[in-house]
Amino acid sequence: MNEEPRLSAQDMIERLEPALSPMTRIRAVAALLAGLAGAVFVGTLWWSEPGPLPGRTQLAFAVFTVFCLAWAGYGGWLLTRRAALFATDRVIAAWIGLVASLTTTGIVTAVAVRRGTGTGPALAVGGLFVAVALVLTVRAHARRAALLRRVRELTGPEE
Amino acid sequence: MTDELLVIRAQLGERAALAELLARWRVPVWTYVRRMLDGERADDVTQEIWLAVVRGLPRLREPGRFAPWLFTIARRSVTDRLRGEYAWAREASGFGDASGGTAGEGIAEDPAEAAVDRAALVSVLSELPVPEREILVLFYLEDLPVEECAYICQIPAGTVKSRLNRARRLLRQRLEEKGYRP
Repeated sequence: MNEEPRLSAQDMIERLEPALSPMTRIRAVAALLAGLAGAVFVGTLWWSEPGPLPGRTQLAFAVFTVFCLAWAGYGGWLLTRRAALFATDRVIAAWIGLVASLTTTGIVTAVAVRRGTGTGPALAVGGLFVAVALVLTVRAHARRAALLRRVRELTGPEE
Repeated sequence: MTDELLVIRAQLGERAALAELLARWRVPVWTYVRRMLDGERADDVTQEIWLAVVRGLPRLREPGRFAPWLFTIARRSVTDRLRGEYAWAREASGFGDASGGTAGEGIAEDPAEAAVDRAALVSVLSELPVPEREILVLFYLEDLPVEECAYICQIPAGTVKSRLNRARRLLRQRLEEKGYRP
């Protein structure tokens, strides 16, 4: 009964590559952020459009918003189900999210101010995104710090 | 380096720590899977388990309890493949699995145990019903304590003990049928 697993540790790591690949993580974060930012941007444009819009334009805005949300959903699914986002990755992803939220809020607010309508909703939605991104950034830093502290406890003062 | 330290380093994103963790637990996980399933499925299921481990590792809250968490994932994958067999075993043996039962009998003082050599044990294991086989593999081959077996199988510790007693009895019967004597 001297059976052995056919896959070596190295083979196994190679087979796990899709979940560990940086490209998967970058793709996931990019899809999520671009989708959310796009949806907010299009949504604000739609909201702040002065006067009643023709049916076709309404439909175009709706389709484009759904399209952005679909990309955001795909990114979220990749992040939670396919890619492994470790503590350091989470810190980086959270910062990217914060910068993207601030940028989107800035652009959307600028557009709303130039049009002279919808500034309030633009700021409210943007502020919500920035707040969520900020909370995620703080949590990611806290989690990483806690892990590093535990590493120091386990390895002792010499390392 | 302890498992806990390796797990935390892997959670921080160190690939080398993850590779070391995999190298350390590759054979125990495969052994569990192989004892529960046939050789053809063992490699695929093992890969599936490690994929779930990698995806779940960032969310593992108690790095010090890596082994029970790992075997919980392994058990889930194996159970998925064995769903039919589990149901059959439950019906066939009528299972007095309620916690309590023979739980008080203790688990270490079986006379047959000392005489059972590992190779013989492994050869007979595959003939046992799935729940008994599983508990023997976790307790004897993986050296996991009763509490961790209970956690992995999601049953009370008393049920683990009664199941172990029944498993040993069945094992002894099978071994005696094959000519082994304690």
